[in-house]
Amino acid sequence: MFADGLFLGFAVLAVLGAAGLVVFRHPMNGAMSFVVTLISLAGLYALLSAKLIFALQLIVYAGAIMSLIVFIIMFLNIQPSDLPKEETKLVYILGGLAVVLPIGLFLAKIVKSLPLSSTAILGNDFGGVKQVGLLLFKDWLVPFEIVSILLLISLIGAVVLAGKKEAVK
Amino acid sequence: MSQLDILLIVLRVAFGAFVPLCFIAVLVWMERRGAAYFQDRSGPNRANIFGFRAGGLVQNLADAVKLITKEDVVPGHITHKFYFVIAPVIVFLIALVSFAAIPFADVLILDGKEYIMQAIPTDLGILWFLAVAGFAVYGIILAGWSSHNKYGVLGGLRAAAQVISYEIPMGLAVISALIVYGTVNLTEMVQFQGQLLFGFIPMWGVVLQPLGAIIFIVAAFAETNRTPFDLAEGESELVAGFHVEYSSMKFGMFFMGEYVAMFTSSAIIVSLYFGGFQIPWLATDALVNNTRLVSFLLMLLLPVLALLFGAWMSKNNRSHYPRENDPRVREANVYAKIMWGLVIALELLLVIFLISGSGGMAARILTAGLQIVTFLVKVTFMCFVYVWVRWTLPRFRYDQLQKLGWQTLLPLSLLNIFVTSAIVVALS
Repeated sequence: MFADGLFLGFAVLAVLGAAGLVVFRHPMNGAMSFVVTLISLAGLYALLSAKLIFALQLIVYAGAIMSLIVFIIMFLNIQPSDLPKEETKLVYILGGLAVVLPIGLFLAKIVKSLPLSSTAILGNDFGGVKQVGLLLFKDWLVPFEIVSILLLISLIGAVVLAGKKEAVK
Repeated sequence: MSQLDILLIVLRVAFGAFVPLCFIAVLVWMERRGAAYFQDRSGPNRANIFGFRAGGLVQNLADAVKLITKEDVVPGHITHKFYFVIAPVIVFLIALVSFAAIPFADVLILDGKEYIMQAIPTDLGILWFLAVAGFAVYGIILAGWSSHNKYGVLGGLRAAAQVISYEIPMGLAVISALIVYGTVNLTEMVQFQGQLLFGFIPMWGVVLQPLGAIIFIVAAFAETNRTPFDLAEGESELVAGFHVEYSSMKFGMFFMGEYVAMFTSSAIIVSLYFGGFQIPWLATDALVNNTRLVSFLLMLLLPVLALLFGAWMSKNNRSHYPRENDPRVREANVYAKIMWGLVIALELLLVIFLISGSGGMAARILTAGLQIVTFLVKVTFMCFVYVWVRWTLPRFRYDQLQKLGWQTLLPLSLLNIFVTSAIVVALS
């Protein structure tokens, strides 16, 4: 099955990218492997026929946010000597694995206990731009507006905080 | 899938992949001859194969051979070789892929099936372009950063900051266009532009959204890092900016990527604001229903155009001093023969359309062909505007560039959104 193969590919890439983010020493490597994760997540959304989320994932996360982070990494011009020595890294990774493993096994068990049922693709252009827009502005208008006000507040906060420094000088 | 389906998939993908690649050659030629024209000289016109110069197009071949056979140096001080190698590939591929969702003809209906004429038949349209174009900045950042060179890093910083900040007015200009068209699907947008305003003005985006069109075009110039916004490679300050350490085909990829990006953004400008594949006053239905008339007119028009072009060619393609057996005249004669051969072939093809009549499959195919030609002519003209601006305006200073983006274009595009939505609400 073509879609199954794509799912496997994207899932493996997403997990590998996330692991790379933790394991890589140089921040640029970490950032780029996180970009791989974000793109493969977008691929998974596309497989679920969530077109709008696919585009937004690429525009907002992989395109805008990560390019800002990569930009800042370039701006800082980090030399190998600037990086901290991570001698206890292996211990931390193993310890983290030991903590996370039971949770992962638990989740796997939950997924296994789900009843098997065939799934079909929803019709009516589900996940398209128009459908999601109608849903957001009809059924979920108040939460949507609250979230946008939240974003606006954080935007204003960032501007105020950035301006404060200059006033102190 | 029937054979027709497979054939159309292959054709559409081939169009999406090869037309931008072919346009690299055309655009490089246009840039050089255009620059020469603006500076009152001839430009490169001597490179030839057996005396055939194709108006200077052969120069591109010589350039390609030069770039491919040059030594490919990866400087020893570069530690992140993977990023260094992959950066030009990213720039080039992203420019190519972002063309995939742009329609080059109206929806083709064959045997009752609809084929969306895009390389990727998605209805994401402009969102696809915004999503993919955002990745181009990675190529620039990685190139500048991995070069590990002051000029490279500075050029990368400038380019990245510029691309990121001009994405905002661009996105806002797109939003006001979306308010007018009521869809993100580029094919539907272009179909919308086939209508007539007050019954006689084509309803092109530039008529409905003049301010948005200007903002979008300015932002598109900045996004492609073209003059007057090509500070990333300001030769007098930064040598060559982010591609200073690149040689051979790795530089060639950046070079080609720039022209593919220019082609793609011209295509998106044309689709959003200049009616895309629409022939003014002749919507798809009008063309399909009047195939006989259209093909008859084309049969009359083609020889006239060929005659004019041949006269222009034989007047200009000759040596400027008396010469025995002038090779340039011989060259022009060969071109004229090829051109007339093409005209005869097209006339024969049009006879078939004339016989087959309107409404059927043949009419649809003729319409699609005409729309593809219209689209390419419009895009070529938009690319010429890029060349035109490059050789007319001097480069901005960096602070002027950022000021223009944040203090002029951003408020203007916000204002444009409010005015547009007020008018749309008032009219509906």
